[in-house]
Amino acid sequence: MTTEKNPSDKHNEDYEIDTLTNDRLMKDHEYDGIRELDNGPPSWFNWLFILTIAFAVIYLVRLWVFRADDLIQMKEYNQEMAEAERRAPALEDAGVFEVKLLTDAQSLANGKQTFDNICAVCHLVDGGGLVGPNLTDNYWIHGNSIDDLYRITTEGVIEKGMIPYRDQLSPRQRLEVNSYILEKIVGSTPAKAKDPQGDLYE
Amino acid sequence: MELQKFTYDNRIARMFLNATVLWGIVAMLVGLLIALELVFPRLTHGVSFLSFGRLRPLHTNAAIFAFVGNAIFMGIYYSLPRLLKTPIYSQALSSINFWGWQLIIVSAALTLPFGYTVGKEYAELEWPIDIAIAIVWVVFGINLIMTTIKRRTKHIYVAIWFYIATFVTVAVLHIVNSISIPVSFLKSYPVYAGVQDALVQWWYGHNAVAFFLTTPFLGLMYYFVPKAANRPVYSYKLSIIHFWSLIFLYIWAGPHHLLYSALPDWVQALGVVFSVMLIAPSWGGMINGLLTLRGAWDKVRQDPVLKMFVVGITAYGMATFEGPLLSLKSVNAISHFTDWTIAHVHIGALGWNGMLTFGMIYWLLPRLYKTKLWSVKLANAHFWLATTGMLFFAIPLYFAGITQSLMWKEFTEEGFLKYPNFMETVVQILPMYFLRVFGGLLYISGVVLLIINVIKTAQIGTFVATEEDEAPAFKPESISGDRGHRRIEGKPVLFTIIALVVISIGGIVQFVPMFMVESNVPTISAVTPYTPLELQGRDIYLREGCYNCHSQMVRPFRSEVERYGDYSKAGEAVYDHPFQFGSKRTGPDLARAGVPGSLVHKPNSWHYNHFLDPQKMIPQSIMPPYPWLIKRDLDISSTPKKIRVMQALGVPYPDGYDQIANDDLMKQANQIAQGLRNEGIEVDDTKEVIAMIAYIQRLGADIHRAGSLTSTK
Repeated sequence: MTTEKNPSDKHNEDYEIDTLTNDRLMKDHEYDGIRELDNGPPSWFNWLFILTIAFAVIYLVRLWVFRADDLIQMKEYNQEMAEAERRAPALEDAGVFEVKLLTDAQSLANGKQTFDNICAVCHLVDGGGLVGPNLTDNYWIHGNSIDDLYRITTEGVIEKGMIPYRDQLSPRQRLEVNSYILEKIVGSTPAKAKDPQGDLYE
Repeated sequence: MELQKFTYDNRIARMFLNATVLWGIVAMLVGLLIALELVFPRLTHGVSFLSFGRLRPLHTNAAIFAFVGNAIFMGIYYSLPRLLKTPIYSQALSSINFWGWQLIIVSAALTLPFGYTVGKEYAELEWPIDIAIAIVWVVFGINLIMTTIKRRTKHIYVAIWFYIATFVTVAVLHIVNSISIPVSFLKSYPVYAGVQDALVQWWYGHNAVAFFLTTPFLGLMYYFVPKAANRPVYSYKLSIIHFWSLIFLYIWAGPHHLLYSALPDWVQALGVVFSVMLIAPSWGGMINGLLTLRGAWDKVRQDPVLKMFVVGITAYGMATFEGPLLSLKSVNAISHFTDWTIAHVHIGALGWNGMLTFGMIYWLLPRLYKTKLWSVKLANAHFWLATTGMLFFAIPLYFAGITQSLMWKEFTEEGFLKYPNFMETVVQILPMYFLRVFGGLLYISGVVLLIINVIKTAQIGTFVATEEDEAPAFKPESISGDRGHRRIEGKPVLFTIIALVVISIGGIVQFVPMFMVESNVPTISAVTPYTPLELQGRDIYLREGCYNCHSQMVRPFRSEVERYGDYSKAGEAVYDHPFQFGSKRTGPDLARAGVPGSLVHKPNSWHYNHFLDPQKMIPQSIMPPYPWLIKRDLDISSTPKKIRVMQALGVPYPDGYDQIANDDLMKQANQIAQGLRNEGIEVDDTKEVIAMIAYIQRLGADIHRAGSLTSTK
């Protein structure tokens, strides 16, 4: 370690300085050859520390004294839900929205995407059926009209594990996927078909 | 002044060095295996003890307590006697410390993969091993404190302040968090439940990071960095400021692991602000490490040891900036439950702990074997493999974490979740999981080069078993004139007591109201204890480590309520010994899995088929199959004892219920099995899968039994 004696301290005291940095070494601080410099923390360090403490004080005062809405998670949640409610577009409800079979290519393509992402989990991608029934045959438990499918998709069959998609899919998406099933899945030949369930239609 | 002669024992340092390298590679290989399991979920098909949920705790425990733990002891047993000019207090205690620690690691490796676990993250080991840890840790502490008392130097150096803080805090954390009542030799239930258990657990978990992965390594940094660079420490004053503020502030920050959970707002707020205030003390350590290298930067360019130290300290600075950032509620809302956290901890583990450990080993090898390092070139190659490996590991996971979280939260214009199928968000990030495997491979190849250097250097050198030194005896009167901080630097026992007080404050302020004031955990009358079958099922859930991938905590966000169901409430988990909130969603949250009509609810037959073969039900699923749940019979002989232990913990089963519990269990099992058989599934009442299904169908169901699921539309 490069050090030298400097006898002319302003306090008239012997101390050593580190020649590489010109910093003063602590007196009597040596541990297995390790020395320590007499520097203070950099001033930006002090400011950083003061700022974070100020942040902490303001944060706690805002919560504990002023009960700030953005720091109380139930208020935050209620606000988020109210905001979503307010922004939600007026959805086509049953009265205005006409449930009828869609046959255009775009609707069927959208329907396929929804089917593959969601329905396939229980009915398989080719509709052959797994936990859910086979959708390719002409046997139906709850009917085979577009209205029947729309109702089942919307309300679900909870006791059988088919959940309601009222809150997960828009009316349009539900209609698209129902149309896809009736137009493309029914009558196709799946790789492995589940045994028929329900009544024969047509 | 008369000089006294004494010797340093290098054997214990060498033993810990070899153990560090050995367990390091083991921990990393287990990590590699589970990283591969995430991209090839059927890799270990049907082998229960190699499944992800069983091995992930082994990986974390091995990395933290075996790899880093042995590195801590290596560095301390080498530096402590030299900093105090005295031999280690007791060689016998050193040996107990070494062999005891290795025995604990081996018993962890023999229990965790076989499902013996408490089910609390980073505190999975069962009660007999917990007791062994406490004993060995106290042995280490006695050796540490007694050596400081027997010292020849006047004062204790900053490195030793950190060693002392490490010892007292880890002892307190480990003991308080591990208190549990045994059911059998390798099964116990923690005394705390629900949000209270969560608070204690994350007070422990967060401070295991602080006082096992951080403070001991800061101490080691204060010894090995100035030694390797041959430069004085930048600032003694900064050492004092950042040491005390670091150990005081850290202990409060645990609740930042539970932001937006059912923990009360006031505790969460403490977690936030104390995490933010931690930036400065943490960076104080980084500054003192990096600025110590002033005047030696030319050496840094050539010396692999210093290069590793610089990258390690920089990684520390990055991780301790990121930590407070992740503790802001708005950031945590995105980062929590995702791979962002995994990336964050690996910057700390691979960067800070890994690089500092490797640097120490490369510095120690020539000194222990009185020769040159066998190959500096190889060490340099290791440096580059480790650095690039770390980046290839972390960057893809940052990307994966943010991507997946934003997908979870995205709504369509019509106000529906854009990705209601969880699987879509997993498929999106799988390429990132592949890149992570590649990063891990690079990092491990670096460690292989280290092993070669360790072996070869040992071969070409001669081991220096003991080193002689001399120093004058310590005279207590020589420090009688000390003032300020210098005074306690000359009184290590007093120093230890003050440190103990300082680290106790935060925990006490948070725990006492949480346990004493009822309004912090509002009672919900609909919540009742688990049935015996559900309780047994829950123990299987713990055994399989389901919490490693599935959370049980729906946060109060619109996106989560829409996806999973009503947000979780504190009163729902009061019988959960231990809590199972989880910290990562590799799969969907299960808090409402038992609520019919919720998106995550599935029929019994679906669960049966899904446990047997997840990919049959969801082709892209990355969940491993659990065929053994279908094959194995449920052990119901433990039911009465489990009920009695739960009663002792305050769970209100009626008096004498332990005697009739198995009747209820058989009835419920028969009901579920009969239902499955009606659907054409061949299954006996007695199989484990029946209990597991019973438990899952109970999750979150209590408060929904009367009404239907809250809906916003």
